[in-house]
Amino acid sequence: MSVEFVVNGKPVSVEAAPDMPLLWVLRERLGLTGTKFGCGAAQCGACTVHLDGAPVWSCQVTLASVAGAEVTTIEGLSPDGRHPLQDAWVDLNVPQCGYCQSGMIMAAAALLKRVERPTAEDIAQSIANLCRCGTYERIRKAIAQAAQA
Amino acid sequence: MSGLPATRRGALRALVSVAGVASFGIPVFVLPRGAGAAPAGAREAIELTSWVVIAPDGKVRLRIPQSELGQGVETALAQVIAEELGLEWPRFETEFFDPQINRTRNNVYVHTATLNSWGVDQLFEPMRIAGAQIRAMLLQAAAIKLGLPVEQLTVSGNQIVAVSGAAAVGFGEIAAAAAQLPVPAPDKVMLKSQASWTLIGKPLGRLDARAKSTGTATFGIDVTLPGMVYAAVRQSPVFGGRLRTYDETAINSIAGVLKVVAIKAGPSGYTVPPTLWDIIDWGMDDAVAVVADSWWTAQRALDALPIEWDEGPNAGVDSAAIALQLEEAVRRPGRTVRSEGDVEAALKSAARTLEADYHYPFVEHAPMEPMNCTARVDADGVEVWAPTQYADEAQRIAAYAAQVALKDVRFHLTYAGGGFGRRLSQDYVSQAVQVAKAMAGTPVKLIWSREETTRRGYYPPVALTRFTGALDADGRPTAWKSHAVFGRSPFQPYGVGRVPFAIPNVHVAYSTVETPPPFGWMRGVAHTQNLWMNVGFLSEMAEAAGLSAYEFQRSLLDEKLLDPQRADHADAVARVRRHRRVLEEVARRAGGGFHSRQGLGRGIATTDMSYVPGYRSSCTAMAVDVSLDGKGGLKVLRVVAVVDCGLAVNPQNVEAQIQGAINFGISNALFSKITLKDGRVEQGNFDSYPLLRLADAPAIEVHILPSTGEPTGVGEEGVPTVTAALVVAVHAAGGPRIRRLPIMDHELGFRRA
Repeated sequence: MSVEFVVNGKPVSVEAAPDMPLLWVLRERLGLTGTKFGCGAAQCGACTVHLDGAPVWSCQVTLASVAGAEVTTIEGLSPDGRHPLQDAWVDLNVPQCGYCQSGMIMAAAALLKRVERPTAEDIAQSIANLCRCGTYERIRKAIAQAAQA
Repeated sequence: MSGLPATRRGALRALVSVAGVASFGIPVFVLPRGAGAAPAGAREAIELTSWVVIAPDGKVRLRIPQSELGQGVETALAQVIAEELGLEWPRFETEFFDPQINRTRNNVYVHTATLNSWGVDQLFEPMRIAGAQIRAMLLQAAAIKLGLPVEQLTVSGNQIVAVSGAAAVGFGEIAAAAAQLPVPAPDKVMLKSQASWTLIGKPLGRLDARAKSTGTATFGIDVTLPGMVYAAVRQSPVFGGRLRTYDETAINSIAGVLKVVAIKAGPSGYTVPPTLWDIIDWGMDDAVAVVADSWWTAQRALDALPIEWDEGPNAGVDSAAIALQLEEAVRRPGRTVRSEGDVEAALKSAARTLEADYHYPFVEHAPMEPMNCTARVDADGVEVWAPTQYADEAQRIAAYAAQVALKDVRFHLTYAGGGFGRRLSQDYVSQAVQVAKAMAGTPVKLIWSREETTRRGYYPPVALTRFTGALDADGRPTAWKSHAVFGRSPFQPYGVGRVPFAIPNVHVAYSTVETPPPFGWMRGVAHTQNLWMNVGFLSEMAEAAGLSAYEFQRSLLDEKLLDPQRADHADAVARVRRHRRVLEEVARRAGGGFHSRQGLGRGIATTDMSYVPGYRSSCTAMAVDVSLDGKGGLKVLRVVAVVDCGLAVNPQNVEAQIQGAINFGISNALFSKITLKDGRVEQGNFDSYPLLRLADAPAIEVHILPSTGEPTGVGEEGVPTVTAALVVAVHAAGGPRIRRLPIMDHELGFRRA
């Protein structure tokens, strides 16, 4: 089955099983490996992307369901990799291993779209992604800093 | 037990002369003369010693002889070598070392296994020397080219310039000539004075921060090769189970499935260099892999594949049976690992004695990047890409799995999405190579599901420690007796034994029992199992003495109380002083006026992760504040840390490591346990093996004590320290005495008065 949708502003057509999760379509068929596989079970958020502007865990979204939709991945969050969150992430040295950070930034970007100046409580409630390196302290600071930018 | 040497720098050096070590191919810090240099005038990249590569256009690449798991070693080590070389920050690239170069050049990279918080500790001096040697060679070559005395030249702006400003020559123009020069002897090069450092000791930004914030950093799982196929893998649900058969016909009709491959049990590599501890290969079990044109298809087909296992003797083992094994062993006398004074006499004459058992479960490392490896096997040899903590062993295991010579394995080390000790075992590398061999010529990316990653871990062992303590009529401790029993693991008595507190009569015993899972090191190693037990029991003694846990600890960190006849008296004094300093400092930093009360508690703990007398390491103290709502709700509010790590090569990175270790330790203490039922691991994904999330992560303050001492590691210490402080804090807040982890298994209401 061939499914057409838009990824990072570019139209694509993917020939694959309709129930293949978007995560694997992005990583294996479209070469967008910035979106990560951590659990495959809606637990960790490493695969967070935006679907028509809203954050989704792409391991839970099928290829068939994104027909005609607009998908944004970490690679397309900003044209030059300088989204205010990305700059704050670099400025505060948030990443350690870095594996979860694509998903973290995509989740944070969705939060900032919804709430311009999120409170600590907003951040705690919105960022459910897992980070095993424990970078949470700097993530909180970086979101707050990006919100001021 | 081969024994741990007294100092680590001594360690690698002292042991290199041991026969058998040399045959393994490690030892001796030797920089070869002009190693592997291309002929002068060649228009290709020039290797300057084994540490730096210079392109014809002058671009510099620095070799990083460690795995980057998130600990920031790439940045910290680049700071060290770039400082001595005189490079402009960050006008260079980095690349991970090639284990084959390390092997054929007699361990030129000194310390390549990424463990023991040793990256900076072991490589600080060698990489300063390497940087200075290369700088000297470049200056010498420039002097010849420019016809100027070398004293009139310096390194500036990634080129060699005359101090007068009259002449300059780019690295690219002289690299080939420099490579022909003899490498100056390590003791003949001048290292920069600390006062002139511009990179070492500065809180420079991570070199990988931008790539890791834009999705462009390449982890093992991201390796992509033309024509690549994907493999999903399953091992026996029971540790030690052997593959009997599988029914391929059940999945033949699934579109995209290419092959089913039986993977053979075998070695998974040594998890420590031969200069440390017992050299044991903990092995790997049989497995089945399904190869397909996408990983999702492969995993789905694997789930549908009927597999028959011979589950073996562990099929009947469950956690209750293991608990019984530990109970039986703790009643028998263990091996004495420490003895001072006369504990039995002190117990008989005590005014009061206490006894308690402390328990630690199996725990999975749970790095966010699941196990994976990419391999290609063809007539020309084997090529492997893997996120591992020990590239040398990964390459060796790959050669073994493919049955080829070491020289025929090209190994590429990638970024790793966390490690924490798990990636010291190379089971997934062997698997990928075995599958690639069956798919000759086709590159294969093998990925484990999260469930497989959780269930087939190399867990640190379960542990049970039985404590007996005695107090005299004035509440002073007179005896400390402990017996730690561990599941399957190497001999590691330091965690239970290296208690720094001054107690006159001490007896520590140690035992192991056989348990099914293979052993793995984990961040904090046995200090993580034992420190919280030791501190927890000490706080029980404090309560019996009518003192706060903090005051009790402080009173026992008193060198006047140490028996001068002790063989390790000097070491004991040094440790008491150091622990007391960070203990008092953290109490002050956390706020002196604080008093724990029902609902709000503070716990304080310290550690230096000392393995043996004379061991050089960091010393850390933490104060953990928790609140309890009396109805089962627990919140870790704030953690204040004080760190004495010698010179902090990169202070922001030290802070990051301590912050991370705090959340790692809290996560494990609150939630983590791997349990067995009918031989099977009961946990799978993060719903049954939960990790700490942002909403539950405390506010963290890290204070680094100023020091000019040699740099010591900071990756691990935070884990045991925070765990110990946390269990004390729960009790201080009116909660239960935590004698068994994880904390979530406890009823967290207030104690009855």
